[in-house]
Formats: sequence, structure tokens, C-alpha cells
Amino acid sequence: MEQEFHYAPFRVEAGKVREFARALGLQNPVYFDRQAALDAGYRDIPAPPTYTTVIDFWNERDFYQLFSQWGLDPNDILHGEQSFEYGEDIISGDVITAKAVLTDQFDKKDKRFYQFETTYRNQNREVVRIGRATLIERREQHGAEIAEHS
Amino acid sequence: MAQKLPNIHKDALAPIDMVRYSGASGDFNEIHTVPKVARQKGLKEPIAHGMLLMGWAAEAIEEWLPDRKLNKFTVRFVSMAHAGEAFVIEGMLTTENAGELQIKDTSGTGKLVGSFEME
Repeated sequence: MEQEFHYAPFRVEAGKVREFARALGLQNPVYFDRQAALDAGYRDIPAPPTYTTVIDFWNERDFYQLFSQWGLDPNDILHGEQSFEYGEDIISGDVITAKAVLTDQFDKKDKRFYQFETTYRNQNREVVRIGRATLIERREQHGAEIAEHS
Repeated sequence: MAQKLPNIHKDALAPIDMVRYSGASGDFNEIHTVPKVARQKGLKEPIAHGMLLMGWAAEAIEEWLPDRKLNKFTVRFVSMAHAGEAFVIEGMLTTENAGELQIKDTSGTGKLVGSFEME
């Protein structure tokens, strides 16, 4: 199993930020209105705190290719935990590159846990986010509820 | 100095909300939108994207603490969320710069627990 995955450079676009913000039902005008963003001190429309999902999934080299490279069926995957450390803001017009590294993998009962860390950098090589995720692969389904993945 | 933050209520989730989030995020895993696939995977019905709830939780922090910059934000998805469920987001500041939050459905079942640190 390869331990590293590199996303393709991804341009942050205001229209896509707006679509994502609307899907979350966000109300803050900085995500919709450039003037509101400028008034709030941003140099353009910023990306919301969980926007890196868009970078993961709408990438030319996307999360599905990562899953495939790591031999995973996305429909068997549950998201167990997610954390972010925030560096520089992600702003419309930025070009973000990212590298995901598998940091741990272990089995518990009929589930396999994957932990990985993704570092996102902007066009100036500044770190904008570090994401850490725990994904849970359900290796058998017995029609059971899987609520208790703690 | 624990300080309770005002509860934020979310209307009942509709299937179309999950479709819209799939398109916006690019996470098209069918367990979120296609009942037949969800059932094949042992689920009773489609489940909401965890990141949809984390997105709401991030907005709650922005509402509670406008003009403060988020430094760290960590969540655990403790149970699955489904269409038809309405939610309440509860939060508490534990220090001047840090807090905890959770999302529950209206029957009190926890969906997400998290913690955050501000700059």
C-alpha cells in the first residue's frame, strides 16, 4: 500500500465557494459577497472552515483515486473523526496543493481503521490547513446498525 | 469559567439537502443519497455526510464567536444522521479561547461531539 497521495493543484473559485456555503446553509455574507469579504478584512471571498472537502473530491486527482489506490470501496467507508489545524486563510483565487499521508492502520472487530493526515498549502507554499481524518472501513455488513464506532 | 453558548436549532434534514451537499462537496458516495445502495450496505436508509454536520458546527462557532479566528477544530461522528431528523447544536466555552460543542437530534441522541480552539 502506498503511503502518500498527492492531489493536483486546485484553484479556489468564488462560485464554488458560494455553492458549498449554500449547501451548508451558511448565512455569513463573506462567503457570498466580495464586498462583505473585503469589509471583513479578506482580500477576496474566503473558503469556509470545512472547504477542504471540496479540494479532496473535486480534484483532478481526487479522493476516489486515493481510495482506489488504497484498495477501498467508498461505500464501505464511514467517517469516524476529523480535525483541522488552521494556518493562513484559503481565499478565492488561491491555488491549493495537498499531500495525504497514511499515518496508521489497524483492525478492531470487523472494522479496519485508517488514519491519515493531509497538509494543504497555497501558491506561496504557506500551510493553510492540516486535516487529520479517521476513516472506518466496514468489512462486513450484517444489516446491523453501526452507530457504536467509538 | 465554563460559559454556556446559545443553542442553535437546525430544521429537519431533507433528502435534497444531502443531494445538494453531495454536489457541492463532490462526495458522491451513494450511501448518502441512494436508498438501494444504503440498504445493500446494511443501512436502513441513506445517512448524512459527517462533513455536512461538521460544516454546521463550524458555522455555529462563527456565530458564537464572530471576529475570532479558528485555530483548531476536532470532531467525532458518534452516530449517523438521517433525513427527517432535526438538530440542536449546543456549545460551551471552557476557557477564554477554547470550547466544546455537540450536535444532537431532538430526541437527544448525540451525532457529533467536538472541541475547538481560537487564536
